Parts: sequence; structure tokens; C-alpha cells
Amino acid sequence: ECGHISLSAPIVHLGDPITASCIISQNCSFLDPEPQILWKLGAEQQPGGRQQRLPDGTQKSTITLAHLNHSQAFLSCCLRWGNSLQVLDQAELRCSPANPPAVPSNLSCFMNLTTNSLTCQWEPGPDTHLPTNFTLKSFKSRSNCQTQEDSIPDCVPEDGQSSCSIPRKHLLLYQNMVIQVQAENALGTSLSPKLCLDPMDVVKLEPPTLWAVAPRQPGCLWLHWEPWKPSLFMDQKCELRLRPQRGEANWTQVATLPSSILQHELCGLPPATAYALQVRCIRSHLPGHWSRWSPSLELRTDDTAHAR
Amino acid sequence: PLDPASSLPVPQSFVLKCLEQVRKIQAQGSVLQEKLVSETCATYQLCHPEELALLGHSLGIPQAPLSNCSSQGLQLTGCLSQLQSGLFLYQGLLQALAGISPELSPTVDMLQLDVANFATTVWQQMEDLGVAPAVQPTQGTMPTFTSAFQRRAVGVLVASRLQRLLELVYRVLRHLA
Repeated sequence: ECGHISLSAPIVHLGDPITASCIISQNCSFLDPEPQILWKLGAEQQPGGRQQRLPDGTQKSTITLAHLNHSQAFLSCCLRWGNSLQVLDQAELRCSPANPPAVPSNLSCFMNLTTNSLTCQWEPGPDTHLPTNFTLKSFKSRSNCQTQEDSIPDCVPEDGQSSCSIPRKHLLLYQNMVIQVQAENALGTSLSPKLCLDPMDVVKLEPPTLWAVAPRQPGCLWLHWEPWKPSLFMDQKCELRLRPQRGEANWTQVATLPSSILQHELCGLPPATAYALQVRCIRSHLPGHWSRWSPSLELRTDDTAHAR
Repeated sequence: PLDPASSLPVPQSFVLKCLEQVRKIQAQGSVLQEKLVSETCATYQLCHPEELALLGHSLGIPQAPLSNCSSQGLQLTGCLSQLQSGLFLYQGLLQALAGISPELSPTVDMLQLDVANFATTVWQQMEDLGVAPAVQPTQGTMPTFTSAFQRRAVGVLVASRLQRLLELVYRVLRHLA
């Protein structure tokens, strides 16, 4: 091989410089001892090549193309041979409006008590026009996440997904861990802000189950509920709300109750009136998120007068 | 007489998290016991842990000393250390039970992870309080089982003893809450 081009980067960002070098090996014996290396970009000759003789006798020329503004171009390393310009090697310069990855944002996680895994999701940021790999990086830590303890294997999302689930065996429940998303493509790497959390503080609670119980007296509604079964080990408090079914009435929150109390009687309601009732729960005494409101339970007060 | 619990500044968040962890493990442990009863008791008539004490002793199944946690004489620093060692012991025993049976293994694995995490919670709190022993406990040699019968029987024994340990832990924590 007489001549060989090497590039500073296989892809460059639009408008960025690129440096190339071409080495003419000695076994091109049919050449002048000091051949002059010339560069062509497409059909145009490019001035500014800096040529030097290397200790092993080979000739090397280096050129920097300041602002590449072709999406694709071919750079040729040439020699003058007789009256002609001989092309010894050619390299494809790829330059696209690609960008290094933006910083992933809105990183959030929730603990799934059914699968016992911690699922994190994020915003990947604008398209970089390049294959970009996202990796969820995390490590165990202590109280305020200032120390780094055991690292946790990287979580690599499925193609195109902006979420990843860390399995239970890699989690240390009831201790803080640090979580971060890394985005990487040919033009660079970026890291999201760090998240410091205890998986059990971000449990995603499902709504409780509601059912009706026969009212003990007129003008009352009596209902029973049970927090979501996988979360029964958690102390929770629950909110109860109701609204008449007819018309566009707003919800009225009627009670906040500890999860140990699983039934509630509402009295003083007008007779013969249909209501929709809902309950939601949240971990009490410790950090947590509200569950969604339960599906509505529809109940109707008796036709007789109020209870005294 | 109780060691004045307040002499050791145990944070309430630690106590609340531990109470929740105990309940979580107890729930898992109950699931394991239910499965053990339905599988081991029904099929192999291995139903009563107390009938397996001698076997446990012969296999070298250690018991967790909890003398510092008795309600007659709670010595909190010593109790925390004994609880942590006890949890660490059961983490090892549950690991030794890995592969007990296709039906029980997932439950045993999850229980082992929860017990291991709880042991870490207690250990790290002891470190934060400055009462942790200088050297982290290392897992002693765990029994090896030469038959499926031994593995099933020890499963019944470990599940039962773990629940007893957890009941004691819960009492101590309620005392601190």
C-alpha cells in the first residue's frame, strides 16, 4: 500500500474542523525520493498540507480542513507523477448536523412492589441524528448520598426506550442510592443530574379496593376498603371523597383515615340520593406517593328520612 | 429494668423504616410458611418445627442469641448487635436453602434479599451511632444438606425461627417508637 490516510474522527459536527494525515511508504520505489504530497477535497486541490520526513524514511503530510460544510465529501491524498496527479488513497468525510447528546432530563423512578424492581424514566432530549446509547448508572450510598458504596450493574434500556428497570437483587431497600442517566454517541457523552433516593420512598401504590356494606341506619352510607395487598406491610393513611352522581357536583373530601381503619360510615346525607365514592392512600410517617383514586363505588342512600 | 433507650439517640425514621421492614419480611415469611405447609406438611408430614429441633442441632443450625433484647433487661446497644447478627445468620441460612424446590425458591430468594437488606439497615445505623463492632460479621460455615428431606426440614425450621426473631425485633422497635 503506497499511501494511507487517517482521520482525526470518523464523523464531525457541521462546521467543525477535521485533521487528516497521509503517509507515503518507502516501498513506492518508483517515486521521487522526496515526493510532494497534495490533497484534494472532491475535485478541488486543498493547500495547507504540512509535509515532513519521518525517521523511518517515510513521508507524512498533515492537513486541517477548517470548516467542513459538506454532509459528505471525499478527501484524496495525491502525488504528482509525471504530468498527472496520482490518487494514492481516499477517505470519506462524514459530517452531519449531528450533535453530541443533550443532557437527559426529568429523571424519575418508582418502585414496583409486584415486580420488585425499580423503574426509572427520563427525557432523552432532541434527536442527535446519530445512534445514541443511553445507560442507567447507579450505586449504593448512605444517608445523604455523599458517599459512593457498592456500584450497581449498568441498566441498559431496550432499543429506543427511555426507561430501564433495575431488578430486586441489585437493590438495597431502605438505603439511599444514587441514579444517573448517561447518553453517548460518536460526538460525545452527557450525564443527567444525579437522583438520590431510597427505593422504598418511591413505591408506586395501586389504589385500594372498595366495597359497600349494608348501612346500619337511614341517611347513611357504609363502605369498607382494603389497601392494595402487596403494600399491606406499609402503614398508610387514606383519603375518602364523594360526590352526588347527578349534576356536575365537585368531589368533597370527607375523611382522612389510617390504613388500619378499613371501614367508614357517612351519615347526615339526604335520602334517596346516589353517590360516587373514591379512596386513595399514601404511606404514612415516611416518604411516599399518593396512589391514584380508586374506581368509583356507586351507592344510594335509603328513601327514608335522615338518621338523627 | 430497661436500658434507657433514650441514651442511644436512635432516629425515629430508622425505627419507622425498621418497623416497615419487619412487616415486609413477616409477610414474606408467612407466604413461605404457607407454601411450606401446603408442600412440606401435606406431602411429607413435616409440619411442626419443634419436631425438627434435634435434626437442626445435628446439622449444626445455629440459633441467634438474643439475651440483650429480652423485655426484662433490654440492653439496646447489645440488642442491636445481636439482632444484626441474627438477621445476618438467617440471611446465610436462607442462602443455604437456595434451590430448595422450584415452587419455594422464588419466595426464599426474595426473603433472603429482604433479610439481607434489613441486616444492612441495622448495621449502617449502628455505624452512624458509633456502636458498630470494629469488624463486620462474616458468614460462618453454613450447613450443607445431603438430601431433599434435610433441605425441606430446615426450611420449616428456619421459617419458624425467623418469624420468632421478627416478633422480638418488632417488640423492641415498638418500645423505641
